Amino acid sequence: MDKNELRTQKLLIGIFSILLTVVLVIVAGVEAKKSTETKPVIEVTGVNKRCVSCHTEKGIAVKAIDQWKESQHAIKNIGCIDCHKAEKGDFDAFYCPDSDILVGRHPTPKDCAECHQQQVEEFAQSKHAHQFWIIKNDDRSIFEPTITTRHGCEQCHNISIVWPDKSVGECDACHPKHTFSRAVARQPETCGECHIGPDHPHIEIYLESKHGNIFRAKEKQMNLNYASKDLKKIPIEVPTCATCHMDGNETQPSTHNVSARLAWESQAAWSYRTVWLQDKLGDWTIKRARMEAICKSCHAPEFVETYFLTADLVNLQYNELRRVFVYWVKKLNKNGLIKELEANGKKYSDVVLNGWDEEPEHLMYHAWHHEGRRFRHGAIMMGADYTQWHGIWELQNDLVELIRWAAEHGDPEAKQWVNSRHPSKFMPYPIYDIPGNAWGINPLANKVPFLYVNYDDYWDRVYQNVKYAYEKGLLSEKQWQLWLKRYNNKEHYLGTKYNADSVYNYYLQLNAIDTKAMNEQVVNMQLPGKPFYQPRPGVIAGPSEKVIKQQLGRKEEKYSPESGTK
Amino acid sequence: MNEKNLIDFRKIKQAILDEPIPMHMKNWFYALGVTPFILFIFQVLTGILLTIYYVPSPELAYKSVKYITEEVRLGFWIRGLHRWGSNLMVVAVFLHMVRVFFTRAYRRPRELNWIIGVLMFFITLGLCFTGYSLIYDQLSYWATTVGTNMIKEIPIFGSLFLHLLRGGEIVSVNTLTRFFNLHVIFLPTSLLMLIALHIILVRVHGVSQLEGIEDDEVYKFYPEHVYHGAIIALFLLTVMSALTVVLPPGIGEPADPNVTPLHIKPEWYFFAIYFVLKYVPLKLGITLMLIFLIIMTFWPFIDELLRKKFPQVKWHYILGSIVILLFLIFTVYETVSY
Amino acid sequence: MKKETRREFLVNLIMGGGILSAFVLFIFNIAKYIYPKLGAPTFRKVVIAKADEIELGQVKEVRFGDQILYLANINGKYKVFSSICTHLGCRVRWEENNQRFFCPCHHAVFDKDGKVLSGPPPRPLDEFKVDVEGRFVYMWVEEKKSWGII
Repeated sequence: MDKNELRTQKLLIGIFSILLTVVLVIVAGVEAKKSTETKPVIEVTGVNKRCVSCHTEKGIAVKAIDQWKESQHAIKNIGCIDCHKAEKGDFDAFYCPDSDILVGRHPTPKDCAECHQQQVEEFAQSKHAHQFWIIKNDDRSIFEPTITTRHGCEQCHNISIVWPDKSVGECDACHPKHTFSRAVARQPETCGECHIGPDHPHIEIYLESKHGNIFRAKEKQMNLNYASKDLKKIPIEVPTCATCHMDGNETQPSTHNVSARLAWESQAAWSYRTVWLQDKLGDWTIKRARMEAICKSCHAPEFVETYFLTADLVNLQYNELRRVFVYWVKKLNKNGLIKELEANGKKYSDVVLNGWDEEPEHLMYHAWHHEGRRFRHGAIMMGADYTQWHGIWELQNDLVELIRWAAEHGDPEAKQWVNSRHPSKFMPYPIYDIPGNAWGINPLANKVPFLYVNYDDYWDRVYQNVKYAYEKGLLSEKQWQLWLKRYNNKEHYLGTKYNADSVYNYYLQLNAIDTKAMNEQVVNMQLPGKPFYQPRPGVIAGPSEKVIKQQLGRKEEKYSPESGTK
Repeated sequence: MNEKNLIDFRKIKQAILDEPIPMHMKNWFYALGVTPFILFIFQVLTGILLTIYYVPSPELAYKSVKYITEEVRLGFWIRGLHRWGSNLMVVAVFLHMVRVFFTRAYRRPRELNWIIGVLMFFITLGLCFTGYSLIYDQLSYWATTVGTNMIKEIPIFGSLFLHLLRGGEIVSVNTLTRFFNLHVIFLPTSLLMLIALHIILVRVHGVSQLEGIEDDEVYKFYPEHVYHGAIIALFLLTVMSALTVVLPPGIGEPADPNVTPLHIKPEWYFFAIYFVLKYVPLKLGITLMLIFLIIMTFWPFIDELLRKKFPQVKWHYILGSIVILLFLIFTVYETVSY
Repeated sequence: MKKETRREFLVNLIMGGGILSAFVLFIFNIAKYIYPKLGAPTFRKVVIAKADEIELGQVKEVRFGDQILYLANINGKYKVFSSICTHLGCRVRWEENNQRFFCPCHHAVFDKDGKVLSGPPPRPLDEFKVDVEGRFVYMWVEEKKSWGII
């Protein structure tokens, strides 16, 4: 055997052994990536074990058990009976049919308060807990059958339920049973279950806002399941509804009182500064300061203050619109043109709130309950479209129709209004305003509007109105100073002292080209094929006279009052 | 060296360690026989280690594999070694067969050993297939379903075999336990016995001489040839360990019998079969495969017959090259077209 | 036997050392794979009782999962005892009339505070860490490890 060859082999073995050693050291140093999330093991204890095993076996509400297992309750050893416990004589107590366990069917806030006392108390002091809808409900009850109320009004307003045990509210309206998830409670759609639709489109307003848009875009990266106690930083990039109205930040404690940060009663027929539990919660300026403290987590103070000041002036402006509405319906009522409903000496359908059978009442109702709220709430929550098209445009339209109706029914003042050719006739009310807006300086926008151009004392009148509102306490000292700052430097904030005409002219030229194109393409043309309807008497294009007569005859038959009542 | 020393050893040791090896065996290409054997030992070792954590039940198989891969310390290493080992084993067996085939080492009196070798090749593939299905993720589950379904197309006995293998109509808990048994008990034991037989036959016949080149010079099994093996073992362990770090074993979504994933593919060494079955009717494909298997198994005799008829033609070169070429083309095509 | 040359000695040393180190490390890695990962236990806080549920000086059986535990209010301080006897692991019982914990296996007796009064146990009853927050008594339990099997 060749010695050298053998030695080479030995050397090779040695080298590979050392190489292997190195690789093994590397292997030992590598920790595999861990993707498995270890979930806490849920222990089901005592009575709960009986509940869970029997329910699982019988297949009754099994999902509720799965949900419970996902909850913080399960992790902390809070089981079925801790919430569903009952004593004999409780309004919701019943014996579980397959055992001797006394069970409470409806855990109420009283049960939640066993542990979450602060939250339940805060909630009870919020307008969520206020049964306001029942107070004037007799007006509405004449217009809608009760069965619709069960699954209509009551389903949402159940959040303010007063239970037989005298506790108030429905915690699982937002924290769905049985996970009681914080993340779900923070999801905008949770609020949107109720705050939706023509009268208070808050979810729509939110989703229209920049807040909502960013939330939707980045929703998947956000974990809404955070605790908001102990003056901690808000951990998400943009607010959901709950962030501003309930969550805490570095300066604000979190609260379950959604009214603690609201400065207006802007859901009401008139916008007025809130006095809700002001001895406990402070006056509106304190409530507003709470809200601003949250806004200032992300925004510059001046932006926030200017934004809210503008929104506040929108609310005040709304009152002036409403004043005109109220003036007209009251006048029409006094003159006997519209009437309230009455039975057994009690009046139903308040003409300035809930009227149902006459056009002016109808317009009145829409102007505050639908359009009026959209106008105000859009302004305060960044829903431009709701302030504009679903708001003021509709409001103005209601107003015009109301006065026109009065004119048609012989009111001389209304006739005069209809016949007036003055462009200012659409604003038969005083004006609030603020120089410029919170978003920027626009040198062009303020050069055109009619009132600016035609009334030299425009800003003097506005000044008087805003000052009056301030002196009435509807605006705070700080807001007045902020307003004055803009007023005293209007040319800057309105942009009128800047000149951007050269840029504007460029777009004007483009606009001229557009207009020309429109005229050339479609405005001045007439199709050669004649229309089928000719507006001359005696000539009917289309189906024969006989056929139409037949159809009309049938229609009359169908709707004749005799056949209807028989 | 140390010849005196060795002579003093007892006879049995002499038979094992002093086996004369022809000089041509010093070429590394002729060490391909020992490579699958080394890999087999690795597979047994890592396989035993994997059974410490693996649970063969549909609910837990996937979870336990995931647990091994992601939670157990160095679990990825053991599983990686086993996985790479299986792939390399197929390669090594294949190369060994190619070498034997082209050197016509199967010629008389070694026909039986060739047949044993072919059998071991199939068992190796069987081990790969059953092992893959034990992972019980989506790909593994559906590869098992599709793979076993092919058995149904075997003439006459198809459904019988299929139901026997699956332990029922569909891939289920019975299939998993059967495959587990096959993978850890039946197939390895069979393979071990065949390996023993294979080696004994090699020893009985002696290492084959190269056709036409009779080299009289020999060297002893120990130490040189053993060193050969040791170097290969160390090399493989090093490379495979490194591979587990660079390309760690993955795991897909858990098996869902209700959802077939978009791309299902067998392991790469079945690509050629997969390719053939895609382009010819299933019945024909299976029949072709069976014919191929029969020819392959009894090749030494067929070769002999052919030689007698056409002594000039080197059949094994022609046929071997065609098969390898087709195998490579199909495999590469499937890999690329994926 | 020939004397080894220096070169040969070196080669043998490399080979021997290499094989030895690789072998040791190989076995070590495998051992690491086989040996279960224990790690430091993590604890979780669970509600075990309401503070007003148990009067001063009272001892009460409570359950957490399958474990039977004893909650004691000793001079206004809450304690949670394991019911596993520290001697050989039998279950101790609270005897209300004797005001003692008693283990039937070897007649061990513990007092209300868990201290050994008589019998073979080497140490007092095991206690869980207890916190009182507001109206609730919390107990710290060891987090069970799971890989989703249970």
